[in-house]
Amino acid sequence: MATTLVNPLDERDPPAGSVPARLATLQSSRIALLDISKPGGSIFLDRLESLLKARHGVSEVLRYAKPTFAKPAPEAVLADIREAQPHAVIEALAD
Amino acid sequence: MLAHGEIAPEIGGQPLPSPALLCFFKTDCPACHLGLRYLDGLFHHYRGRAAIVAVSQDDPSGTQGLAESLGLELPMRFDSSLQASEAWGLEAVPALFLLDRRGRVCDSSQGFDKADLNRLSSALGGLAVTEPPAPIRSGDGNPDFQPGCVSRHLEPPSEAEEAAPALELYSRRGLKASRVQVPEGVEPEEFCYEQGFADPLPVIPPTVGRVDRMLAATALAPDEIVAHVPPNYAPASVEKLAANAVMAGCLPEYMRVLVPAVRALCDERLDIHGVQGTTHFAAPLAVINGPVRLDLGFACGSNVFSNAARANSTIGRALQLVLRNLGGAAPGRIDMSTMGNPGRFAYVIGENEEASPWGPLSEDFGVGGGRSAVTFYCAEPPRPVSEHKARTAEVLLRAFCPVLANLWSHRVCRRQEALVVIGPEHASTLGRSGFTKRDVVEYLFENTGVALREYDGDGGEGTQEVKWYEECVIRGERCYRKFRRPESIRVMVAGGPAGKFSVVLGSWQVGPRGSQMVCVEID
Repeated sequence: MATTLVNPLDERDPPAGSVPARLATLQSSRIALLDISKPGGSIFLDRLESLLKARHGVSEVLRYAKPTFAKPAPEAVLADIREAQPHAVIEALAD
Repeated sequence: MLAHGEIAPEIGGQPLPSPALLCFFKTDCPACHLGLRYLDGLFHHYRGRAAIVAVSQDDPSGTQGLAESLGLELPMRFDSSLQASEAWGLEAVPALFLLDRRGRVCDSSQGFDKADLNRLSSALGGLAVTEPPAPIRSGDGNPDFQPGCVSRHLEPPSEAEEAAPALELYSRRGLKASRVQVPEGVEPEEFCYEQGFADPLPVIPPTVGRVDRMLAATALAPDEIVAHVPPNYAPASVEKLAANAVMAGCLPEYMRVLVPAVRALCDERLDIHGVQGTTHFAAPLAVINGPVRLDLGFACGSNVFSNAARANSTIGRALQLVLRNLGGAAPGRIDMSTMGNPGRFAYVIGENEEASPWGPLSEDFGVGGGRSAVTFYCAEPPRPVSEHKARTAEVLLRAFCPVLANLWSHRVCRRQEALVVIGPEHASTLGRSGFTKRDVVEYLFENTGVALREYDGDGGEGTQEVKWYEECVIRGERCYRKFRRPESIRVMVAGGPAGKFSVVLGSWQVGPRGSQMVCVEID
């Protein structure tokens, strides 16, 4: 006799945490960096910002920060990012 | 916003009740979802004496879906045209207005704020000449404050079309779990592996019959949502918990602990969201207190941290399966702990209250007096303390101080907490010396520090932050005090009757910006 199981997983559709499609090019794009506020992270992200512009033709890098890396980004920070409408957002971790 | 003293305009051409508390909301606003749950409680309290009315900025069909998922019963009005929203001068939702007996606005609030809700509720009680309900508590698992969203009538025209589906963080009813057929000729245990149901150990397949037996052990409905499990915030219905409990090997009566434990685990104060994604060693440790330990056979004695009892091992594993299967924190994907923690298989201990000279750990959080409770602490693996010669409390506790001084990172001070789990023989020595739990904590606080000579300018972790540290003298040596305050150290008793051993468990990030201990009563 066939065995029937109760699905123990998250069944929401679309699945949580889906990554959007990659950009075809970074040329002339606007990229948001969400600094998660690890100690020293801003030093690394300053360098990343300059490399994105110098090597990859990114036209603008928008910088945002979470108050603490230990908690989710507040809705106000996410709203600011949405309003700016960047082409992509990088959750920027450096430690 | 309408000014206080103004007559409230009609909504949808219908007069308004008074006195009344009105709440404008939109269906895709998480702060509205949160506020509506509490307003529904006020509706039940004030029914027949004062009106509580929710005013949706969306159409009836979309609003109905939200009301069902949140289990709302309070009356609704609709402002789909947004004319009332404009006339009332809304800027953000949720927007609450208290109307006096003449229909004038006498108080208002925007966003979700427990203090505002308590003030409005109390004032409504005054207007209706009736007792208000008990105030909404801080620390009930929901945030004290959450900013609202822009009112629907002020949204840019394109936003409604482009908006992502709203996060359902506060729904109370979920969908029935789907049924999965195991193909003929496939072992159900192997099928569970293939479907990604399991941790690396074999699981008991969650057949319909087994899950039904688990569900029969709780009075809750199968579709009732106990919590939303970070970091993906999947709704944990009672049925989903039961399926994971079956897989972990739980007995049906363990649902009595599993349901409140999942509530505590997902309490915002514990911040399991951060712990599930950290590279650190931390894992959630559950401490069980009260009569439930004996009722369900929790290990509190020998081998308390290992594989001694079915209740500890299977409830601990069920909690981990819930975090993985519903929270989405699978190792190597979201759970990126560098070294991991053996407690990720199961991390549940009972307090050996019978061997303790003091009250239980849960008493520190207001649950004492023979009541049962589960307390969560996001903990490193245990660090051992061995002291076999000490005859007095002072000599014994000296052995704890160097272990405590090494928590997090040797030269980092003031950023960590500690749970000190004292073995029964050590507890007996402390009790004979007349040390109260507070005496133990204060001794450890006063005598744990890191010598200033360790800070010799090499730039290591913790050395750049010394301006924040507090200097003290311990046994004639200048030190920085390790802990911010005595309350950073918690003490409990567990372990077997023989052996002069104890353990110390370090914390993850602590305080309001990190993880705080959470205690929930078990019925």
